Amino acid sequence: MKLTHHSHQSGFTLAEIMTAMAVAVVIFAAIITASLAMQKIFNAVDNYFATHIQQLRIIDYLNRDVKRALIVTTSVDQQTVTLTIPKYIIQSGDAEAVINPSMVGAMRSPTISTTTSGFQVNYGTTTSTVVYAINGASILRTEDGVVTTIASSTDQLVPSTTDADLTNTEYSTMAVTFQPIFTSGNVAAERTGTTVFSLAYLRNKRRG
Amino acid sequence: MKVSLIPNERGNVLLCAVCTIFILSLIAANVLLNCTARYNQASNQVRSWNEALYAAESGADMAYNEVRKIASNPTNAFSATNGWTTSGTTYTSGTTTFGTNSMHVSETVDLFYTDPTTGNAWYRIRSKGTSPLQGLKRTGMDDRLSNGNRFVANGSTRGDGDTLLRKIDFKYDHFTATYGPTGDGTNKAIVAVSPAPQLSRRIELIAAPVTPFEVAIKVTGDFYGLGSAAYIDSYRSSVGPYDPTVKTNPSDSRYADSQSGTVEIDNGTATIMGDIYGNLYTNGGTATKKTLNVHGTIDNNVPFTLDSFSIPTYLPAPQASPTRINSNTTITPPAAGTARAPTVYLLSSFDKQLTINQNGSSQTYVAIHLTSNFTGQIDVKPGVHVQFFIDGNVDIKARDIINETGYAGNLQFYSISPTDGSSQHVNIDSPGNFVATFYAPSADFTMNGNPDVTGAIVAKSFHGNGNTSWHYDRTLNFLGDVTDYRIASYIEDIR
Repeated sequence: MKLTHHSHQSGFTLAEIMTAMAVAVVIFAAIITASLAMQKIFNAVDNYFATHIQQLRIIDYLNRDVKRALIVTTSVDQQTVTLTIPKYIIQSGDAEAVINPSMVGAMRSPTISTTTSGFQVNYGTTTSTVVYAINGASILRTEDGVVTTIASSTDQLVPSTTDADLTNTEYSTMAVTFQPIFTSGNVAAERTGTTVFSLAYLRNKRRG
Repeated sequence: MKVSLIPNERGNVLLCAVCTIFILSLIAANVLLNCTARYNQASNQVRSWNEALYAAESGADMAYNEVRKIASNPTNAFSATNGWTTSGTTYTSGTTTFGTNSMHVSETVDLFYTDPTTGNAWYRIRSKGTSPLQGLKRTGMDDRLSNGNRFVANGSTRGDGDTLLRKIDFKYDHFTATYGPTGDGTNKAIVAVSPAPQLSRRIELIAAPVTPFEVAIKVTGDFYGLGSAAYIDSYRSSVGPYDPTVKTNPSDSRYADSQSGTVEIDNGTATIMGDIYGNLYTNGGTATKKTLNVHGTIDNNVPFTLDSFSIPTYLPAPQASPTRINSNTTITPPAAGTARAPTVYLLSSFDKQLTINQNGSSQTYVAIHLTSNFTGQIDVKPGVHVQFFIDGNVDIKARDIINETGYAGNLQFYSISPTDGSSQHVNIDSPGNFVATFYAPSADFTMNGNPDVTGAIVAKSFHGNGNTSWHYDRTLNFLGDVTDYRIASYIEDIR
């Protein structure tokens, strides 16, 4: 018996290799493209949520301060808010702290005074001034000169506050928007679609 | 035999495709997992932070309700059966748990100020609301504000972003550790929170006494009056005597004080005539500026209620005599007294004149409790402050009210609400003028003639058809017994 052995174990033809490489390139290109797209999606969604959380933080900061404010005024462009707040906590430099430095950080007891408008509750003889303002990509809260960055985003966070002073009450409406980074058209709807709105009454307003 | 060993060169495209899809799916799943986990964490923190304030405010409302009982139902205020413990003039609640997230709240109320003129008490309400934080002990999405100082146990550098605002207690109570349990810097301790993590917020409210005479006329029912040529204006006796020219002279420095002749009607039915140099409030009325000479603001959506009135429980025991005024009588109280501890006279009848003298040169405080109708005459000498509590009706002429002090706040009439629901009235006929106040929330008040009145009234209804000139003294705003409490200040302790 004659055993015939076909030994021509030759490789792929050039055409086969070229075809295989072309297919591989397409597949890897697709994988890389998809991966990059996923990465961009991740960044965009992560950034969106992070900025949204900062929106809520701005609203919560403003709400908290408006509720305890005696006076709220907003700038014409509605982007700078100035609040006058009772000094509940004794701070360094206050009269009580000068007399007794250990009083720094302690709560004040209120005092009652009589004005032409009626009784008035006072925490100390002075008040604190809090200012909310935009500085570049950051939203700053400044209390008696001490600056705190309460939000910072490249998504162009813009708070807008209006103040309504009625006969016997007063409230502030707040809206915070941003421009998501994955948007492309830069149309107004992309910003307005991110609006978070809130309204807070001045519970400490002194009524005349 | 020939054996062909041609290898099987078939590809594995399907396998490659499945692997590719699997890898991409993993990446996508990772994207979703990262985003949603962090977002949920952060949103839970936002929710719990806001819930903690709701809890604190709920607690403050519960405490405020107890404070209001001091005016309306003092024997049941801060009762132990409702979980309150009393230490002097400080009241502490138990812990109340509520809501699906087991929020809890506790409150402390203390008397921190007593008005030296009226003896009315002011209360401070402190409430702490706590909301457990759902999910894992993780921070939120603060990396964009990281400054390397997170979670440092120091009030000035403690975290940033959400951490700085919300002050989450992941394991230990930061407030007790830094400021002590009451926030005054004493008894600081490291105390584990349970459940952990959680968020707490603290608020402080001041409950101020509401005094009875805050406006010129206040009625809960029908209102008719005054005459078409009548007017109601105001002045401030602490600034100077009444001057009728001020109300129409805006350049006068006293002009602002002349525009508080306010009328409040908790009714939609109101026939209003004359000039009102103040505001007009109704509850569902149709008053407009086109038809009325109201020089202030008209608001037709101001509902209010008036509690029935009972005699104060703080009054001392009465004097032995007199016990009735059935002949003209003059009394000089044996002591000057105070607003909260006046000299008390308990009378069974009063149909003649009573003259009340000052004790020496001291401001003298007197309380009279008449258990029947008042048909007599009262003369209050200078330096005397009288509170006149009447169980029955009042039927007098304006000239029967002789207030030589000139201040309406020095002669205050209080009609005690009938407990059997029977009707009650106050009728003041001409002639004469008077300087006094009336607090009669259960009485129908009728005033005839054209008296010149300085004072204020609170009644169930009002009918007056004369061309009265009525002057509300703005200092009345600070006088009289507490009838209710209102929140005068709101502070959040943000430490």
